[in-house]
Amino acid sequence: MAAPTLDTTRSRQGAIARPHPPGSRRRAPDHLAWLAPLLAMATLFFLWPLINVIRLAFTNSTLLRDDYSYTLSTFGQALTDPSLPGVLVTTVIFVGASVAGQLVLGLLIALIIQRAISRKLRGAVLVRSVVLSAWVMPGILIGVIWQIVLNEGPFGLVNSALASVGLAPVSWLSDTKLAVLSVVVANIWRGTAFTMLLLYAALLTVNPDLYDAAKVDGARKLRTLWHVTLPQIRPVLLVNTVLITIATLNTFDMVLALTGGGPAQATEVLALHTYNAVFVNFNLAGGCVLALFLLLASLLLTAFYSRVLPEEQR
Amino acid sequence: MSTTTAGGSGTAARGARPRRRTARTRARIDDVWTYLGLLAVLLFFGIPLLWMVSLAFRNQQEILVTTINPVPDHPTLDNFGQVLRSAQFPRFLLNSAILSAIGACGAIAVAAPAAYAFSRMRFRGRPVLLVGVLALQMVSPLVLAFPLYRYFASLGLLNSLPATGLVYIAILMPLATWMLKGVFDGIPRDLDDAAMIDGATRWVAFRRIVLPIAMPGLTAVFVITALLAWAEFVVPFILLTSPAHLPISVGILNLQGTYATNSTGILAAGSVIAVLPAIVLFVVLQRFIVGAFVSGALKG
Repeated sequence: MAAPTLDTTRSRQGAIARPHPPGSRRRAPDHLAWLAPLLAMATLFFLWPLINVIRLAFTNSTLLRDDYSYTLSTFGQALTDPSLPGVLVTTVIFVGASVAGQLVLGLLIALIIQRAISRKLRGAVLVRSVVLSAWVMPGILIGVIWQIVLNEGPFGLVNSALASVGLAPVSWLSDTKLAVLSVVVANIWRGTAFTMLLLYAALLTVNPDLYDAAKVDGARKLRTLWHVTLPQIRPVLLVNTVLITIATLNTFDMVLALTGGGPAQATEVLALHTYNAVFVNFNLAGGCVLALFLLLASLLLTAFYSRVLPEEQR
Repeated sequence: MSTTTAGGSGTAARGARPRRRTARTRARIDDVWTYLGLLAVLLFFGIPLLWMVSLAFRNQQEILVTTINPVPDHPTLDNFGQVLRSAQFPRFLLNSAILSAIGACGAIAVAAPAAYAFSRMRFRGRPVLLVGVLALQMVSPLVLAFPLYRYFASLGLLNSLPATGLVYIAILMPLATWMLKGVFDGIPRDLDDAAMIDGATRWVAFRRIVLPIAMPGLTAVFVITALLAWAEFVVPFILLTSPAHLPISVGILNLQGTYATNSTGILAAGSVIAVLPAIVLFVVLQRFIVGAFVSGALKG
């Protein structure tokens, strides 16, 4: 891919072998050749589609016919869509609860695994592998698995377990409130590994002297966690929070397989709603308006992210 | 240290350093809590996986029995046989393999030179471009897929694996660029400088010196991008519409639609087969991946 531009420099290697002093004239265009493939791909598959999403949002285009005209009314229609408030509330609950759950659980697991490994306890690597297995699975599969686990039929694991202790079955997926809870739990199950990995790595960077100092001062473990550990890994925590927020906001594969957005749109998150607008209702322009919202939310989070990113990584 | 072997003996020795003994006992108690924590985590994350595996080996009658015993009375491989003999399923796996290979190799080919430039060269606009690459990572493939669907349709590229593979490369390359920049940052500049003083061009220094040293890092990036490609959903879901071209991450939905009402076992068997390549690859190469995260955090 990089070959055409770079081959010209390579063919010179047999010629006069002379170092290029730093700051020589060849340097200025040099980096462009190295960046060219990336920039080309970014233009073709990011910039150009993005321009078109914005353009299409100002049209009345649908998937059913090719022609369209420019209009502002799509924005009005998309914003006054009676199902939108419900979708937004569901999205906020889904994203908020998933992120909070993943942060708390991810930190807890990272702490447990770090302690287990530092004490050379058995099983830490096994547990880490199992948690990571959930993370590498395609979202559709996760939806399928949780559909089986929470199924209200005889093979549903949770209801079978409840039955074995004499409790009545629970409609995990057909009750509107419980369905939201189920989707959140499945999503926490899916995404916690990422937080665990990042925070585990961050915990390894905390200077052990700080813990010793806290111990000498007689600090209890929870206080040490709150006043020593968490401030030390604060940058990673922030970055991690932004990343999983964006990831959660933009997924709908797991939800699609688990509940399909139902019952009665109870679990239809914004990303799924956006997909449905285009490919179920064939309203391309309306979908592009919603896509712009998703994009805007992600970009605001990214702007925040680049501010909290450590200086030297920028 | 005889005192470390806890129990009723060695009273005299214990009396000598009471403080240390309590610290040890406390550490032991904490170990128990740690084990309990590990067990709880293992159960929460492992049981759904175990249940899926269990259902995959059950026959039709046993699936309909309400039980929490994961071991079936009459384990069977029928579900696996039916999935693998089906017309579509092996095709899904192959398509996934093709798309993952294109995506991971392509992303590295595009990202490696760019990451090297970001790591080694100082040029105008570098910080802006770096944040720009990061911003690409944050753009949902869903947003890109709408206009791409339109244009792929007009170009006749819907259901084209190579064209879809290009989109995979595009959405994987931002992450690959950032990770590879981290990898190259960890390799001393003196090495390529020395090669260039000896007359090598930058390209040769990059290919002959830097890339071979970066191999563990490249492997980690390859594994992570391949896994992400294996799990990618939105892009193939929208750009590939015929069953013959679907990867497994979308194809399972078809399986769910076809069988869910009458045979959960087949769905479970399909799921087991679908995650196996990802999990095996992941567990085998876990060290690289955890290592990549750890080195990233150490630098941060």
